[in-house]
Amino acid sequence: MERDRLIGAMESILGSEGVISEREQLRSYECDGLMNYRVVPDLVVLPETAEHVQRIVKTCFEEGIPFVARGSGTGLSGGALPVESGVLIVLSRMRKILEVDIPNQRVVVEPGVINVWVSQEVADEGYYYAPDPASQIVSSIGGNLAENSGGVHCLKYGFTTNHVMGAEVVLPDGSVVHIGGGRSPDAPGYDLLGAFVGSEGTLGIATKITLRIVRKPESVRTLLAAFKDTEEAGEAVSGIIGEGIVPAAIEMMDALTIEAVEVAVSPGFPQAGAVLIVELDGPEAEVADQFERVIKICEEAGASEIRVAEDEQERALFWKGRKAAFGAMGRIANDYYVQDSVVPRTELGPVLKKISELSEKHGLRVANVFHAGDGNLHPLVLYDNDAPGEAERAEELAGEIVFACLEHGGSLTGEHGIGEDKKKYMPKMFTTDDMNVMQLLRCAFDPHQISNPGKIFPTPRLCGERPGPFRMHPLQKAGIVEQF
Amino acid sequence: MTERREDEGTTREEAAAEAIGAGSPEDVGQTTFAATTDSLQQTIGRDRPESGSYVFPAFDDHHPPDKDLIDDCVHCGFCLPTCPTYVLFGEEMDSPRGRIYLMNKGLTEEAMDDTMVRHWDLCLGCMACVTACPSGVQYDKLIEATRAQIERRYERRSDDKAFREMIFSLFPYRNRLRLAASPLRLYQRLRLGDRLRKAGVMDRLPARMRAMEALMPELQREETIPELTVPTGERRRRVGVLLGCVQQVFFSQVNAATVRVLAAEGCEVVAPKSQGCCGALSTHAGREEESLNFARKTIETFENENLDAVIVNAAGCGSTMKEYGHLLRDDPDYAQRAEEFSAKVRDVSEFLAEIGPLAERHALPLPIAYHDACHLGHAQGIRKQPRQVLKGIPGVEIKEIREAEICCGSAGIYNMVEPEPAAELGERKAKNVLATGARMLVTSNPGCILQIKASLKKMGNDIPTAHPMEVLDASIRGEPVEALLGG
Amino acid sequence: MQTKNIPLEELKSVVGEKHFREATAEDAVEGLEPSFVVEPGSVEETSELMRLAARDGLVVAPRGGGTKMHLGDPPRELDLIVSTTRMDEVIEYVPGDQVVRVQSGIKLEDVQEHLSGSNQMLAVDPPERGATVGGVVAANASGPRRFRYGTIRDLIIGITVVLHDGTVAKAGSKVVKNVAGYDLSKLFTGSLGTLGIIATANFRLHPIPEASRTVAVEVESPQAAGEAAQALMRSQVEPTSVELDWSEENRLLTVLVESIPSGVEAKAETASFLLRPFGEVRELSDDEQPGPPPGEVVVKITAPPAELADVLGTILAAAERRDLAHPNITGHAASGVTFVGLSGEEEASAHFVNEMREIWVRRGGSVTLQRAPLALKNRVGTWDNGGDYLGLIRRVKEKFDPRGGLNPGRFVGGI
Repeated sequence: MERDRLIGAMESILGSEGVISEREQLRSYECDGLMNYRVVPDLVVLPETAEHVQRIVKTCFEEGIPFVARGSGTGLSGGALPVESGVLIVLSRMRKILEVDIPNQRVVVEPGVINVWVSQEVADEGYYYAPDPASQIVSSIGGNLAENSGGVHCLKYGFTTNHVMGAEVVLPDGSVVHIGGGRSPDAPGYDLLGAFVGSEGTLGIATKITLRIVRKPESVRTLLAAFKDTEEAGEAVSGIIGEGIVPAAIEMMDALTIEAVEVAVSPGFPQAGAVLIVELDGPEAEVADQFERVIKICEEAGASEIRVAEDEQERALFWKGRKAAFGAMGRIANDYYVQDSVVPRTELGPVLKKISELSEKHGLRVANVFHAGDGNLHPLVLYDNDAPGEAERAEELAGEIVFACLEHGGSLTGEHGIGEDKKKYMPKMFTTDDMNVMQLLRCAFDPHQISNPGKIFPTPRLCGERPGPFRMHPLQKAGIVEQF
Repeated sequence: MTERREDEGTTREEAAAEAIGAGSPEDVGQTTFAATTDSLQQTIGRDRPESGSYVFPAFDDHHPPDKDLIDDCVHCGFCLPTCPTYVLFGEEMDSPRGRIYLMNKGLTEEAMDDTMVRHWDLCLGCMACVTACPSGVQYDKLIEATRAQIERRYERRSDDKAFREMIFSLFPYRNRLRLAASPLRLYQRLRLGDRLRKAGVMDRLPARMRAMEALMPELQREETIPELTVPTGERRRRVGVLLGCVQQVFFSQVNAATVRVLAAEGCEVVAPKSQGCCGALSTHAGREEESLNFARKTIETFENENLDAVIVNAAGCGSTMKEYGHLLRDDPDYAQRAEEFSAKVRDVSEFLAEIGPLAERHALPLPIAYHDACHLGHAQGIRKQPRQVLKGIPGVEIKEIREAEICCGSAGIYNMVEPEPAAELGERKAKNVLATGARMLVTSNPGCILQIKASLKKMGNDIPTAHPMEVLDASIRGEPVEALLGG
Repeated sequence: MQTKNIPLEELKSVVGEKHFREATAEDAVEGLEPSFVVEPGSVEETSELMRLAARDGLVVAPRGGGTKMHLGDPPRELDLIVSTTRMDEVIEYVPGDQVVRVQSGIKLEDVQEHLSGSNQMLAVDPPERGATVGGVVAANASGPRRFRYGTIRDLIIGITVVLHDGTVAKAGSKVVKNVAGYDLSKLFTGSLGTLGIIATANFRLHPIPEASRTVAVEVESPQAAGEAAQALMRSQVEPTSVELDWSEENRLLTVLVESIPSGVEAKAETASFLLRPFGEVRELSDDEQPGPPPGEVVVKITAPPAELADVLGTILAAAERRDLAHPNITGHAASGVTFVGLSGEEEASAHFVNEMREIWVRRGGSVTLQRAPLALKNRVGTWDNGGDYLGLIRRVKEKFDPRGGLNPGRFVGGI
């Protein structure tokens, strides 16, 4: 479809305020939180209602135009990277909280609602929304859904997929389905919702999302413990898990991260080799007892300092220090490349050692901050884009870290998603058969592959016959795709 | 990867075409860079003063937004939810992250044209993003440099230009403001505004005129501030006081209260009659020459007065005066003097917290909502001290306002040049203020007072407003609550 | 019935003579008897079997412990049962990671025993004895623990499946936190063997709670039951389970609280305190725990949890209207899942089911026949087929099993 006609079609759905077509403006959407990949979208549209989304998608479907959905654009794997000659559908104006249902412990929101708003909305009733990625003050629920975001509290509480009860989804052909039950559990049929969460926008766009909210715990205790190095801190973590204690969160930061964070937000962390933040929550008696045990375990592991948060302010400060970690890297380096690898917890020690070896080998610093409880590491490879060759070395180093994690039985990504960034590593974790079977799912939802095409799988394949006159798919035209 | 590369075009069209990777200017679509009068309205709710002006690349070599500062941005997006225009419009280009992105492109790849300028103009300069940013991006410096470049290189549409010139030939000059104030007083006394509204004439005036009309305060008689005020009791400090422009003409009682409080706290207060505008409005609007001239004059007025501190009771002014060192860095005659001067500038609450309370505070049982003016909270990081000052008054209960970090929409001249988004923000702030149940709104900036008052009035819910110094002054003088509320 | 050309020799050579036998009446699935039962011992053997099945157009039903073979509508066709019971090993267990990897044919109770050695458990407790882990996943079987720990789909982190044509594919991994690729583990949960045969599965584990107490309140009315459940949901007690047991003799809401020894007393006390306004409260011993409802016909009703009182009310009213003997009702009271056990004649039961569907499907729930005589199933169908996603389910089935070689006709929408 000719661009002007497309603009006209979109304007007739959204009005001119909902369509962005000027080049400089389009360029501000050319990447999300990952700046390494940029593609200028053909057009950016900003729907305000589910009906808008449906009509936009339908138009794209009828004209064979690929589209990418975007929330707040804070993703770290390029999931919202626009596709060449495609439309970028930005959900930031769909930000109403539609329903608060305390008796059933659920909230229904539009996809542009920001994660932390959900907790704020139900705080007065004594509830909160548990998945808390570090980006929660800006990332959208729709984005969280697409990536199955985790957060520091997912050790005890699970991820987004454990807290989404239902969704209204606009499928890539413009039809609407309601998956997951929403109000009631155990919807008969396949767990379509379970498959949809974490599908990185490749199966459709969620326009209403039912979230489960959780009662605030009676008691929360948080401590910060300083150790000589990450190995010592790792011993403490093993000890805690071994005791049968399931903390609400265990986070670890290494020396470089502690340094950066201190410059950025001055939480006053002890300048140690490694710092552990442990949080327990639950009924008072249980927490009190387990907290004492945790302190003892940290002491036994050799903690040089243990600080217990005395009040909510101090607790907030501990977490501020942890959650500012990525942004803080800007203080000690010009650029950084964050990885999101996972290894079994028992392999953390050897993998960290391997990472420091690789860091030395490539001559680039690597800061480590991670969810010690579930083995989800975020090695931050620090480099200077302007220094010749450093960007390439950084990418190489990052790749080797990924392989090391896979070798130790881990995964490519714990919470950031595959997106554009980690496509190339997929064959290291999955066989061709594995990926082909996954693509069967995609073909069921999106036979014409117009929903965020080109993400997750390194070589997308079209899904068989298409009715109607043969039209070369834009990806085929670009030579990126083969007919299945 | 489709990162655009730098170009070295000769003519404007060739340069622009190369910048986007097109083969020749003919390949570039009509809507791409040609200034068209039927350009789409991209941002909600207000007119778009286009002029068709076009300069490539956007920035020249005289103090462009600093590349190093731009590179500090890691694109994390933490600034988005705290940015008033992102909250209103939900578009990337009207967020700090997006604006920085446009600045980056403007250094070498993109032109300065209507679209770019629009998004930068829509920035309120509230600096909530600076507070939120984990990477420490100095957005304030970036937007100021950008605005200066716009003022120099971008040709505004004639009516836009005229309106801005009008503002800047009026507001920084107390005498002119006074002249304008008299007919305004008459206007108010004859209740002309209400009559115009009833007759339906008001609605037919352009938005900007309506905005200005709505913002006008109830004018009191102006109080004269003596050039020298002696302290009560032992002299602890000798300080100068900036009287300001809008503050002195429309809120002189705030200045009078400020001087009284300082005197009561043992300060000898100097208020030179020759002082002029500190240049804040000009600085924030990017009018570089003008702002530097005001800065120099202000420094000259105070620097030989042997002062321990220069006290400011208006947030916007204090923030700029603390920047004089940076502003005058290129001027060999003033650079050093400016640094020394700036080091002495203090917001009045900041200063009082430093020297500690001396005079007795009498009770004022009053729940108040304290609003953090952006240039005090975000730009100067002063949040605790005004609250400290107020909490030091027995009986005062401070109510925190929800969405405190979001600007009220005053933002210098913003509520006059961008009345629609300013009105939305003002309404939002007014609602949050009313929700606290406080009986009085207290804040340290005349612009905020004008803006929030106008919004409250529009909602039919006027509550009394005051500067923290008015409250403290009432307490020190033992005045009853009613006097404060009535005043 | 058409006789197919079943490649006996080839199938035998894949699994060995001993593990290939003719089917008996006991192997029938809802009245349809297969020809043969085959027991592969590995993923490779399973894959080879399915390849042959695809080649020769054989229709297969996977089977684990056989505890849920009665679930679903009768299959349209059935040639072969593939039993997973020989694949019953723990592949890998690392207590420090709180993850276990098992073959699908291992019995759930055997897994639990294995894990208990390190004081850990797979936090799912379906009442049926003898179910295999693969079966639990395929049927999405759950028990009282679901209130605190979620159902099996919240615990599964990796899976290996064999498709209708022998393709072997895995998804997920052995780490809890993983978002690489699509979450096929969830897709296969509850898929009732219609998408593929589950060969292995990985799960996240939890520590076994050190101590437990059970507190129960006698509820006089559906309202009391509903309000009591709400009180528990709103509390900060974090109960492990909240169960309803409502029959002619017993009207109880039972709460299981678990914790460390010093914590469990406080929890039990708080729970008692919360329940007191709704009836008489007492502590139960371990063997007084309620189980699944008896009855020839068991209907599963799901509804928003806060509507428990209405669920009970409508069940009792409908049962009375249809002259059914007092139904035995159990349920996961705070999760919105209720089971109604009926013993009555077909006509009345059918009307009951239809009435329930009228009310509860419209209110966003579902009404499924967990167990019923064939005649009733044929009359009202196992599934209510509500919802607007049936088309999507069909498309998924078509992609994974285009030839309909796995449990055709048993699932939702006649798939």
